[in-house]
Amino acid sequence: MLCGPSGSGKTTLLRHLKRELTPVGSSSGTLTYKGQPLSGLPAAVAAGEIGMVFQNPDAQIVMDTVWHELAFSMENLGLPPAVMRTRLAEICGLFGLEPLLYRPVHELSGGQKQLMNLASVLLLQPKVLLLDEPTSQLDPVAAREFIMALQRLNEEMAVTVIISEHRLEEVLPLADRVLMLEDGKLLADAAPRLFARQTGSGALTSAGRYLPAASRLYLSLAPEADSVAPENIPLTVREGRRWLHALMAGTDAAAGAELVNNLNSPAAETLLTCREVTFRYEKEGREVLRKLSLTLKQGEFLAVMGGNGAGKSTLLHVMNGLMKPQRGRIELAKGKTTGLLAQNPLLYFSYDTVAEELQHMGSYAGLTPEAAASEIEALLAVFQLREVLQSHPHDLSGGQQQQTALAMMLLMKPDILLLDEPTKGLDPAAKDRLAALLQQLRGQGISILIVTHDVEFAAKHASRCALLFDGGITAEGTPAEFFSSNYFYTTAVNRIVRDWLPQALTIEDVIRTWPASAYRC
Amino acid sequence: MSSGFRSMHPVVALLYYAGLLLFTLLVFHPLFLATEIAGLLALLLLQGQGRQLLRSLPFMLLMAASVALLNPLFSHRGAHILFYWLDQPITLEAVLYGLMMMTMLLTIFIWFISYNYTVTTDKFMYLFAAAAPRTALLTLMAIRFVPLFQRRLRQITLIQRLRGIDAGTGSLKKRMTDGMTLLKVLLTWSLEEALQTGDSMTARGYGSTKRSTYTIYKADLQDKLVMLLLTVSGVVTLLFWVQGYGKLEIYPRMRPADFGWQEAVMYGSFCLFVLIPAGLEGKEKWLWRSSKHSNYPSDTLKKTGTRSMSYRSS
Repeated sequence: MLCGPSGSGKTTLLRHLKRELTPVGSSSGTLTYKGQPLSGLPAAVAAGEIGMVFQNPDAQIVMDTVWHELAFSMENLGLPPAVMRTRLAEICGLFGLEPLLYRPVHELSGGQKQLMNLASVLLLQPKVLLLDEPTSQLDPVAAREFIMALQRLNEEMAVTVIISEHRLEEVLPLADRVLMLEDGKLLADAAPRLFARQTGSGALTSAGRYLPAASRLYLSLAPEADSVAPENIPLTVREGRRWLHALMAGTDAAAGAELVNNLNSPAAETLLTCREVTFRYEKEGREVLRKLSLTLKQGEFLAVMGGNGAGKSTLLHVMNGLMKPQRGRIELAKGKTTGLLAQNPLLYFSYDTVAEELQHMGSYAGLTPEAAASEIEALLAVFQLREVLQSHPHDLSGGQQQQTALAMMLLMKPDILLLDEPTKGLDPAAKDRLAALLQQLRGQGISILIVTHDVEFAAKHASRCALLFDGGITAEGTPAEFFSSNYFYTTAVNRIVRDWLPQALTIEDVIRTWPASAYRC
Repeated sequence: MSSGFRSMHPVVALLYYAGLLLFTLLVFHPLFLATEIAGLLALLLLQGQGRQLLRSLPFMLLMAASVALLNPLFSHRGAHILFYWLDQPITLEAVLYGLMMMTMLLTIFIWFISYNYTVTTDKFMYLFAAAAPRTALLTLMAIRFVPLFQRRLRQITLIQRLRGIDAGTGSLKKRMTDGMTLLKVLLTWSLEEALQTGDSMTARGYGSTKRSTYTIYKADLQDKLVMLLLTVSGVVTLLFWVQGYGKLEIYPRMRPADFGWQEAVMYGSFCLFVLIPAGLEGKEKWLWRSSKHSNYPSDTLKKTGTRSMSYRSS
């Protein structure tokens, strides 16, 4: 497994391992595959034995229907029809793709598309599989399914898997080796548990946030982390719970201190109200939103969660007034405006440089050139976009694109920000930066509503959480109330400590409320 | 739903529709055209496409009827003058010719409906790929882009409205520039993604060796049999046509059609050609209907007669 912040060279490294995609530039050193230099392999072997799956599920698809897409790679290598048929049958059985075989590709969900991409590569029977953040565009359930498929491949078919990933909770426990890259240099190369211990001891502390919750909790609670034997470090929720059980066996600290609920804000002004909103895309279509009621108050940070296709994005579009509900009303307080950041920031850009985008947005917002210039200056400082001011928006990294789009929206001076999956595909450091930024905006009196799959992010930063299911809001409350009443849909930390501290959601919560006696045993 | 004629090998469908179109254009005879219409209608109705047919019926009739009406008004050839209208002679020949044109047009319309239903894009591309694999691959990729771009453009239009770019409001000039901007966004985005698609293609070995084609169609015995029948009956009809049979002479002078044994044989073989698919479809229908009642022989003992709850000891 490869980890490291965005721009640390993970993709570049993976592309070097795949001969056809080696980036253009000057390079030195050698790459060998089974003792042969990589550049000396015959074309068919290089294409077939080293497979690669990319980040964006859509961009890899070439064909129109699933069966043709799957067959595409085999056709390229000129395999005879009988062989193709057998292999296809085998792989479809393995991944459960048979019911999808004749479906057009665009009807598939993101997770299904990514599974299809993986299957298409596997049909060539590769020995080495390279994956470049394959689950970054997927929701947690689809991502888990994808990773389980990888695990089976690795264990049962002895395929070497090299994966770069931000979602460590599931991947790290499966890995044999963890490589950490930063600025193009290899910082760590160790087994997962050893890696976890190294991060506890000084040199690699910045890597701490790449660990799963169980290890992080262990390292921050166990005082002797530096000297601990690596095989004791828990990696999964199960191991974490086992460790805590052993720890708590002697003490009767089960009655952990109650969390102080300091998030109860006084009755603030209501900014946005949805009253029994019903929405469907087509006359005969399904009701995506059904009698949904929701309020957003001044200065709130509301996180709306829900499964794929639950209508989260639709809700945001309706709240922003881009689409009119068939029934019910959206009431916006007088003189207030909303700004929407859609999932795909590319949709916002229409000029050649970031500077131009911002200037045009400023003039659309009705600012005088001087006022716009000072506004833009302020935003550039906050978003750290100054060095990319003259680049094309499409050349930025995903996080920067998102920040540019957000800066454009902020030029409109909205009172309410609606964000659609802002943490998708961000590395842990970028997530922290985004959170800090959102808190800063909240400090300026902007109310924020995000829809997200990211439970950890919502638990840590939101002031209120809501669950969208079956077209309506089925549960809502402060993060502590909301998540502690859930059994599965909650943070990994909560799942580990819920027997002792049912309301603790983050490591900080646990440290704050952990019975002091437990530290010393 | 695909069963009956629709589930047959694409080559069979190609043979049938190509032959049918050829005969429509060649054989100028009301009986043949009427048979063809009847055959296609029967096929469509058996395939459950009656509603689709009904929907396009007004358009078809309007087009066909206007041809039938206009022909005698503009064409004055022929020897049998019926009457004068606005000092123009209306001839029997022109009226009949117009009616023939109408029938032919109707046949072609119905042919299209049936063709569209039976030969889907998949099948067409399969046939096409056999002839020109590279072009077919390109076409397939392009076909995917049409609905993809539509969906993307809808998204872009929605979001760009947030920044005041809307091709639906404002002056004509603003609308045009905004429309161009929207297209530009679509193009930039799609080109950017096309690079990744290209990567994905090379990564999967595109262009490394000569490509083979995977097919989902397999010709079975019935396909081959039907193909043989279609070929034989088609060739027989064609041979008679070459001999000059099955041609109704209207211009320059109407001649009464004679119907000898040669015409009878030609017509019989034509009927066979036209009605094979409808027959297959009908057989399928009948199979399903009758299979409800029939019992398959099986090892499990089945009690016949009515069952009663109470046992009567014998």
